Amino acid sequence: MKDFRGPTISAYWITLMAACAIVVGAAWWSIDNLDLLRGQTLALVLSFMLAIVLGETARLSIVGRRDTAPISTAAALALTLTSLSPGDMAMLSSSIIVAAIAVAMAIGGLVQRLRGKPFGLADAAARLVGVSVACVLYRQVPFDHRTLLEWQSTWDDRRWLVAVVMLVASSMAMLVQLLLEGAMSAQRDHASLLRTIADEVRAAFGLTTALVTTGALIGLAEYALSIVALPLFLVPLLLTQFAVRRYGSIRETYRQTIGALSSLTDRAGYTPAGHAARVAELAVAMGRDLGMPQREILELERAALLHDLGQIALREPIPGGATLLAAPADQQRIAHDGAEIVRRTGVLDTVASILEAQTSPYRQVREFGEDLPVPSRIIKVANAFDDLSGGVRGGDGESRAMERIHLGLGYEYDPRVVDSLSRVLARTSRAAAIPAS
Amino acid sequence: MGLVSWSWRESNVGHRVQFSFTSIVLLASAVIVGPVGAAAVGAASSLVQTGRVKPSVRVFNVGMISCVGSIAGLVYIYAGGSQAVETVDGPSALLITVGIPVMVAEVAQCVANAVLLAGVMRVANGIPMRGQVGKLLETTGPAYIGYGIIGFLFVVLWIPAKVGWFSAVLVLAPLFVARWAFVQYGDELRAHERTLNALVTAVETKDPKSAGHSARVADLCEWIAESLSLGSQELQDVRTAGMLHDLGKVAVPSRVLRSSRDLSDDELVLFASHTTIGVEMLSDIDFLKGSLDGIAHHHERFDGHGHPDGLAGKQIPLAARIIAVADAFDALTTTRAYRPSLPVPDALIEIEQRAGRQLDPEMVGALVRALHRHEWAPTVHEEGMLTRGAAVDHDDPEASDFLASRQDLRVRIAHEPHPHTSMSQTARRAR
Repeated sequence: MKDFRGPTISAYWITLMAACAIVVGAAWWSIDNLDLLRGQTLALVLSFMLAIVLGETARLSIVGRRDTAPISTAAALALTLTSLSPGDMAMLSSSIIVAAIAVAMAIGGLVQRLRGKPFGLADAAARLVGVSVACVLYRQVPFDHRTLLEWQSTWDDRRWLVAVVMLVASSMAMLVQLLLEGAMSAQRDHASLLRTIADEVRAAFGLTTALVTTGALIGLAEYALSIVALPLFLVPLLLTQFAVRRYGSIRETYRQTIGALSSLTDRAGYTPAGHAARVAELAVAMGRDLGMPQREILELERAALLHDLGQIALREPIPGGATLLAAPADQQRIAHDGAEIVRRTGVLDTVASILEAQTSPYRQVREFGEDLPVPSRIIKVANAFDDLSGGVRGGDGESRAMERIHLGLGYEYDPRVVDSLSRVLARTSRAAAIPAS
Repeated sequence: MGLVSWSWRESNVGHRVQFSFTSIVLLASAVIVGPVGAAAVGAASSLVQTGRVKPSVRVFNVGMISCVGSIAGLVYIYAGGSQAVETVDGPSALLITVGIPVMVAEVAQCVANAVLLAGVMRVANGIPMRGQVGKLLETTGPAYIGYGIIGFLFVVLWIPAKVGWFSAVLVLAPLFVARWAFVQYGDELRAHERTLNALVTAVETKDPKSAGHSARVADLCEWIAESLSLGSQELQDVRTAGMLHDLGKVAVPSRVLRSSRDLSDDELVLFASHTTIGVEMLSDIDFLKGSLDGIAHHHERFDGHGHPDGLAGKQIPLAARIIAVADAFDALTTTRAYRPSLPVPDALIEIEQRAGRQLDPEMVGALVRALHRHEWAPTVHEEGMLTRGAAVDHDDPEASDFLASRQDLRVRIAHEPHPHTSMSQTARRAR
């Protein structure tokens, strides 16, 4: 039994379909021209394909971001922008180039899968669509009766202009790719489309700049160095990838440390097992639903993970670890102690102020015009839900918990946030219902 | 040439890894505008250096960088590098007449830089020159190979590929991104270190009388590790282990931690489990893998009567032996409710008496050497803190001796499941 939820069109499927259409089209148009691929041109195309395959297997993954293959994308862009000096390559239509890139990416993906490593089909599809856009733009679309590729051979004394044109074409490719990926993750996380795309562009900006210029560099240097340009000019990008990977690993470590900090109260027997993790998961889902940007989501997540840290200062655990059942003054003190510990790090000040305000009732906003941070209101609701439902989703526990929360609506809890909780819960129960049926 | 140095100046000014950029740019200019030009570019780039720089330092920088630049230029010519790159045609010719000489020039530049820097350090601070040159070459050498390749790319793009000044933008863009990522890495690393300390803060919130103990042990561990000339990674691991060695105390109930009478046998077993629990809590953090051994075994004894595993002698991980000494020394020099803090010489006598029994004599020796070089002030608490009675602190050597004499307790520590964990598991099942 399928659950049709109105006419929502999945960005995931659009991307996959577009990639398929491109592959079929490229194969169709290139089949007649395959005899152009011989001798030096063939060797050239093959070496680019090799670089793409290797690039697919040397992937880059960073917590909180999709893993991707910058070397592969740079090599694909470079192939798109390359013209072999004698002019053979100029005759190669974009269909052959796109087909070559698609084949190489498929081989790389296959190798990756055979090695038991992950290979995101959607990510590969988005990158293929992006590169195809650059290819068509650079090699197919006539500007004033000539394609950009033909123009560039006439600008022999103005190679910098060629560089600019190459940068523009590859930036278009990256833009298309980021738009598709943004749309996909917005739908997956039920977050606002524009916000997600903006986050996507911001997060990928550095690496994208590096690979766009690398693509152009190889295309330009090929003029003087022929194929040697490919391995040589991938060196700066390798350095960049190394740096970004190191950054990724320290982010992962940071996340693990926050995790350890968050499980302190569990281990000390103050809170039920997994409480903080569940509250964090719920809070993040609500934050996305309310359209918070990625940076604030990260802070919300950290604060939610650490929201019970203050209990560590208690002499005896609260029964069941549920702060909800403690007296308001005690709740306040726990929140304050937790915020103090976090503030002493000197680097998590925002998280500390979120913690400080997590127990304040919503009426303080209404009656005294106090400015309660939205993340604090979210954590208050998520924490109440987890305490009341005992961490069990669905069933009677969930509806009883929601009933109790609705009793405090507008007084204890922010109605907007509670609405968001209802939406998030409805989505998860729907998602849970599909495999069950 | 004026245009050349002007356009490079822009990309040169006021960056933290400015040096690497300078090096690439110098190398490229050594080829494009020759030794004299490279000297001029070098001088220009250090002249416009922003920020407060002492005049003498500025003069030295200008001199050094232009010197290094012209050396690179001369070596390039000497190594058979082509001075008219635009006439070189074909990739293999480019590699031979430009690529290889560029690499040679880069090596020369690296050595010249190291020698000059070591020289000025010799003059200014009296640091021996030979060791310093070796150290500089070791730390910066590999990076220079990379700079060599990038410098070559720069030249190729500039002249044979006819891109001209715009190549500066193209070549440096990926490097700027790399630099940005390195800076981010540094920021995140510092943030992480601070956050790691929050773990300690949390324990000390629960057990206020141990405030500062972790940080002091971490310092002592670092000093001892220095005396033993450990490598930088090992040193860092030992320091972190010292910092977090008592983290597991978080799982010990407050009534036991803050007990005002001697602990019962059950409570002693419960308390002793903090080593194992600490390791369990931190085992998910990849970064701390190297520190876990030290935390797990910091209550082992050299004579094999410690806990949890009863390891003896060199079986005990090095980090754990270091922490054991640091831990005992800090405990002795801290005021307890039942005795004042010992002055350093008295504490050292006490520690030395325990060498070979509780503590590793080698580590004790390292501590003594470390205390010759560092000041140590005993931690004296206000009387007010001490009005209530207290059990013997678990870090005091006396406590270690007591457990060493009670084999029955050590068997229980090694084999009994941690009581508290099983309690919370029952609680979970009941939910």
